[in-house]
Amino acid sequence: MTEKYDVIVVGSGITGGWAAKEFCEKGFKTLVIERGRNIDHRGTEYTDMQAPWKIQNRNLLPESFGEDGRYTDISGKGFFKGATQQFFTDNKEHPFSYPKDRPAKWVRGYQLGGRSLTWGRQSLRWGPKDFEANAKDGHGVPWPIGYQDLAPWYDYVEEFVGISANKDGLDVLPDGVFQKPWEMSCAETHISEKLEQAYQDRRLIIGRAANITEPNAVQSALGRGQCQARAYCKRGCSFGAYFSSLSATLPAAKRTGNLTVVTDAIVSKVNYDAKTRKASGVSVIDAKTKQERQYHARVVFLCASAFASIQIMLNSKSETFKNGIANSSGVLGHYIMDHFSGVQTNAIVPGFSDKVAFGRRPIATYIPNYRHDQKDGVNFVRGYGYQATAQQRRHSGTKAKSAGLGKQVKDNSKVPTVWRFITLMYGEMLPYFDNAASLHANKRDQWGIPLLHIDAQIKENERKMIKQAAIDIKEMLEVAGCTNININQVAEDQHIQIGDRIHEMGGACMGDDPKASVLNKWAQCHDVANLFVTDGACMSSCATQNPSLTYMAITARSANYAAKLMEAGTL
Amino acid sequence: MIENKITRRVFLGTAAFFVSAPILASLPKTESSVGIKKILADGQFFNAHELTVLTDIAEIMIPKTHTPGATEAQVIPVLDALMLSWAGNDTKKRYRQLIIQVEKLAQDSYKKNYLESLQPERVSLLTVLDKRSFDNPNTDISINYRKLKELIFHVYYTSEEANPDYVLIPGTYKGCLSKQEYQNLVNKRLGRAS
Repeated sequence: MTEKYDVIVVGSGITGGWAAKEFCEKGFKTLVIERGRNIDHRGTEYTDMQAPWKIQNRNLLPESFGEDGRYTDISGKGFFKGATQQFFTDNKEHPFSYPKDRPAKWVRGYQLGGRSLTWGRQSLRWGPKDFEANAKDGHGVPWPIGYQDLAPWYDYVEEFVGISANKDGLDVLPDGVFQKPWEMSCAETHISEKLEQAYQDRRLIIGRAANITEPNAVQSALGRGQCQARAYCKRGCSFGAYFSSLSATLPAAKRTGNLTVVTDAIVSKVNYDAKTRKASGVSVIDAKTKQERQYHARVVFLCASAFASIQIMLNSKSETFKNGIANSSGVLGHYIMDHFSGVQTNAIVPGFSDKVAFGRRPIATYIPNYRHDQKDGVNFVRGYGYQATAQQRRHSGTKAKSAGLGKQVKDNSKVPTVWRFITLMYGEMLPYFDNAASLHANKRDQWGIPLLHIDAQIKENERKMIKQAAIDIKEMLEVAGCTNININQVAEDQHIQIGDRIHEMGGACMGDDPKASVLNKWAQCHDVANLFVTDGACMSSCATQNPSLTYMAITARSANYAAKLMEAGTL
Repeated sequence: MIENKITRRVFLGTAAFFVSAPILASLPKTESSVGIKKILADGQFFNAHELTVLTDIAEIMIPKTHTPGATEAQVIPVLDALMLSWAGNDTKKRYRQLIIQVEKLAQDSYKKNYLESLQPERVSLLTVLDKRSFDNPNTDISINYRKLKELIFHVYYTSEEANPDYVLIPGTYKGCLSKQEYQNLVNKRLGRAS
């Protein structure tokens, strides 16, 4: 069976949704292929309207998961609970490979909407220095685009997504098209003011959330409403305030009449036509029947997520491309990255004992990277930021995990105590050629597709950052007057798993040189003009900011470019 | 007087697959002199005797005060249902083991069955067990006890009875309120008079 479309978009997550929207709105018949199941926005899998006592198993995960070694990739994350479990993929059922001494993680969401249903919603622009870094310090492949190339596309996607944020006026974190920001707690405001007084370059700002605070006409027309401060985003947002493919881009694509979505269809490879020197379409394996079929299109956009797109490309072998499609450079699969966090802290913010917070803010605060320029004699390049929060005043414990029972313990439980400020370092991992994803030589999944083998680690530069980040945050907490400062720093010999931050990037990096990169400045394959890769795989470096907003901007920009070529008859 | 009907609400939250309700039987004509709330019918997992012991343990851990206790919050019926929809084999074994261990402790301490011990004796026994379970964490009984305590507390503190101020849809976030302003907002969202 074969079907023909103008555009095939592989993946329905945050970038797949954007590609679908852009092409459909430009009049192209677009097929979105999702390997996971179909789910409906506001459907039965959403659990956001359930009170704690109505959630399946009181929000506990079945103990059998642990006993059977299921969901090991995600089991340690605080947001992986009974109410969210359905949106994450069991890595026992969908295995991948890694060296025994360098384990990796690969958190996935095999359903329509993919990980756009569970992303962290922190929407931060990259700054000019982030795009210049590879060329400046010689690591990885120089970016073929700069901030100015992407700035209008940041504007474009921000307006549609709905970003609630403050205009902070920081060069390292450019402002954009924002809606009303979330407010800080009194403890966070206090710390922010202290840092601003003490430093020229270090700021604590309110996070920039993809949660609508002032719905515009476009958002309202799609049925999206104002965020209700529940912070149940990862359970599915019935209000559509939390941006996801299901709430925003796919409905926008669907209303054009140009969208076709197929689910339970695993793209095994991109097919290459040596005569036209273009991709002819994709081969898929039905997830349920395991039958193979093909789809054809003029243009293929890979938006399956960084590692998944790499896997598809590496598995797309032909006479022309024996080591994977568009891999004449030999760098496909190389330079994979993730953010890393080697330092976590918590500290008491004295005072404000007569104050409390109401509501559950859907975003943290943020200290942007202030280490771009190797000031203060530091001996590393790039830098780090910190995700941070003191949004709620802490409560006394319930004694569930400590000694004590009876009336007094009960009466003393849940009493407001101190404000506690938590920080988590997010460091920029350098793009190393030998950090790579490849196809396993002989292990295959249940559909016969070779497993992805992920082999990556942080190195000396990142270790130096961890050391300095611990020193820096201690100093900042002291400057802010915090007490009882606890710093948890990973040991120097402790392996940090790539994929743990769920910000996998690279593997099909952009660059001007076809011999050193897979994609050009339009995220278009140097070797195959009608094949684009606009998810995290295209990233040439990873900066310190949460990357989804940048993926969206790159996707919209590339789709606009491809559409022009299609209209001109070039593609 | 404890509520002897299980509301539908208790089970909605544990419906990984459908489980029917363990029935908290009507109280005996009179509560026994030792203050035990006796359960007469078997549950989904635990038998009536085990449910009686567990209900007593839970109520000692989280007694009724000016706020509902574990019994009012239906902690043990929910816990019994969780044995089918949530618990692994190890937990199931440990909870049963603990009931036997508690009964043996009562025999060793008071020369009578746990359910025949006086209420102050049972409170005393559990208070000591609680302390020792954290002081000596690696013994079998300590592990069993802590595991049970953790779930009892979890079920209680995720119950509607334990969260009268819970607001499903706050509508807004305010980061610096006086306690009165906070309470006013809670009341407003819950449709209560301030």
